[in-house]
Amino acid sequence: MNKDVDISVDFVGIRLSNPVLTASGTSGYADELADFMDVNSLGGFITKSITLKPRKGNATPRIVETDSGMLNAIGWANIGLDAFVEEKLPVLEKLSCAVFVNIAGETIDEYVAVAQRLADEKAIAGFELNVSCPNVEKGGISFGTDPTQVTEITSAVKKVSGEKILMVKLAPAVTDISVIARAAVEAGANALSLINTFTAMVVDIETRRPVLANKTGGLSGPAIKPIAVYLVNKVYNEVAKGSGIPVLGMGGIRTASDAIEFIIAGASAVAVGTANFIEPGCAIKIIEGIKKYCARKEIANIKELVGSLEVS
Amino acid sequence: MSEKCSAANKGIFCAAVRANKQLGQRFYRLGLEFSGAGAEVFANFKPGQFVELDVSGTALPPAEAIPEDLVDVSGRKVLLRRPFSFCDVTAKKNKTFVEILYCVVGPATLRMTTLAAGDSVSIIGPLGNGFWVPESKKRALLVVGGMGAGPLEHLAKVFTADYPDMEVIAFAGAKTVKELPFEARLDEISQQLGFSLGEFAKYGIESLVATDDGSAGFAGLVTDCLSEWLGKSDLAGENMIIYGCGPEQMLAQVAEIAKDKKIDCQVSMERMMACGIGVCQSCAVECRVAGSNETVYKLCCEDGPVFESREVVF
Ligand SMILES: Cc1cc2nc3c(=O)[nH]c(=O)nc-3n(C[C@H](O)[C@H](O)[C@H](O)COP(=O)(O)OP(=O)(O)OC[C@H]3O[C@@H](n4cnc5c(N)ncnc54)[C@H](O)[C@@H]3O)c2cc1C
Ligand SMILES: Cc1cc2nc3c(=O)[nH]c(=O)nc-3n(C[C@H](O)[C@H](O)[C@H](O)COP(=O)(O)O)c2cc1C
Ligand code: FES
Repeated sequence: MNKDVDISVDFVGIRLSNPVLTASGTSGYADELADFMDVNSLGGFITKSITLKPRKGNATPRIVETDSGMLNAIGWANIGLDAFVEEKLPVLEKLSCAVFVNIAGETIDEYVAVAQRLADEKAIAGFELNVSCPNVEKGGISFGTDPTQVTEITSAVKKVSGEKILMVKLAPAVTDISVIARAAVEAGANALSLINTFTAMVVDIETRRPVLANKTGGLSGPAIKPIAVYLVNKVYNEVAKGSGIPVLGMGGIRTASDAIEFIIAGASAVAVGTANFIEPGCAIKIIEGIKKYCARKEIANIKELVGSLEVS
Repeated sequence: MSEKCSAANKGIFCAAVRANKQLGQRFYRLGLEFSGAGAEVFANFKPGQFVELDVSGTALPPAEAIPEDLVDVSGRKVLLRRPFSFCDVTAKKNKTFVEILYCVVGPATLRMTTLAAGDSVSIIGPLGNGFWVPESKKRALLVVGGMGAGPLEHLAKVFTADYPDMEVIAFAGAKTVKELPFEARLDEISQQLGFSLGEFAKYGIESLVATDDGSAGFAGLVTDCLSEWLGKSDLAGENMIIYGCGPEQMLAQVAEIAKDKKIDCQVSMERMMACGIGVCQSCAVECRVAGSNETVYKLCCEDGPVFESREVVF
């Protein structure tokens, strides 16, 4: 029944076999998921944020559950560029799906150094610039809330990233997300991903202290989905559609229906984050569900669905 | 079990609920049954390993059965899976039976109380590294604090089956006798030494009870009970090993005692876990790097939950 449905996606010249990726920081470096799914069945894979130097990350507790969501303050705990190249890249090289490396840093030079080192690696389809992480003291979200800095960082990385796709990951809690999105696109980004998490806090009323050691953390999960859908639609209408730039939508996706909402709102592809923790491998079910939906709605090519929101 | 035993063939499995028995106010034993591939995988589950249970779709108990202190949190929707160890594993032909000893502390464990025979639950596992038994040990001391009883009860079973020459003694502590996660009734818990806790006695293992308020056994902390006992022990430290599972403060003290007496010691650590499979980095445990002043974060779910106590920065 599905054989007539084409759910492959042209993502900045790269063919993704389907529109479902896994989100940065929620699926490690891919090998961890091997027991639960065939990672090659994904449309693409996004690594945990990589920084120039290894980072230990924040003290614990680093997570806390909230109603239909969770807060995390991992603090870019990662093995650093050198170990990534040595230990993880060989694993990613074996993948047949598109691999995106998420890059983070405290200074523009750090982003540039990581992109430069990886720009010639064949295993990598593109970069996702994390300018929207709420859990570190320096860098991260402080870049992503200021259009001038987004311009600077995007154009600096663009210069060294050669043929690689350059995707900028946007922070949701800004006055006008389209201003930031436009800054990224004008500076050379050829894809946008949104959303990263919302800065949030949970208080322990017995101790009157924040539950997280970092005090605040990023809210993710189903709780943020309607806001994410809205922001994807906004960026699609105001920036992406006009400039022909694809949007990678994410925020609370757990099911095929969730993913389809994002696609209708304007996402060319979607990423599954928090849901990987609850059901590793759920991305595969989502792919199947999208196919079924398209067949049922007689959509021959998923392209027809992207941004097909009816508002009249 | 002399090697560090890590999880092989982990996956998502469906378990059938066989029983869910209440012991005392807050404690339950949940009996589960695996068949097919799950039976095979969980037959090799090692004491100290754990699983991630999904109870997000499980119903809440009726309002009158919700303890007052949990009324506010009871309505919170459970999103993430929750980590649990097994207190018993029995592999039979084509089926593996396991038990989880759990304490009702929040929305997920509250929901667990309504699981009944005939239900099924989704389980990810086996996860992490369990306890291991180094060569040349003659005596194992199991130190239980509150909810830490589960994995050490399982370890007691394995000792009895596979290490007949090992002398094993259990120390169990709680604030008060009612908070001991055991089936024994108050009058059965001896005021002194003896085969007091049924869960260990059934394996022929002596157990000592300590309660902060003196309502049973040693009046004071289980670690003080351990110290006192070790003070009278004749065996050299290198021939003994301590296994600890319980609140972190207790583990820190157990680690101190072990260091002091030069006894090898393994502790099972707990962290808030979002994934349990090494992808989220939420479960960091600060560990010393041998031969330096540096520390690194290891992952409780992947590198632990059992660590050598000398490694952990408490
Ligand atoms: C490896 C491992 C094995 C475990 N084995 C068992 C077991 O065999 N039996 C058992 O009863 N419990 C066990 N636990 C603890 C169990 O996972 C928690 O009690 C459970 O997640 C609580 O869920 P809840 O929604 O009921 O309460 P929540 O609202 O999630 O928590 C209630 C309170 O307990 C604290 N808490 C919750 N989870 C943890 C944790 N992982 N570490 C430290 N504090 C925590 C919270 O901070 C909160 O104050 C284990 C935990 C780990 C990490
Ligand atoms: C535990 C955790 C770790 C994350 N780590 C990163 C990261 O390293 N880099 C990044 O750009 N986003 C990170 N994110 C954000 C996700 O990629 C995603 O943007 C966000 O969680 C929203 O999607 P979700 O609701 O499906 O999780 C992380 C999210 C979680 C929950
Ligand atoms: S719980 Fe996710 S890495 Fe340990």
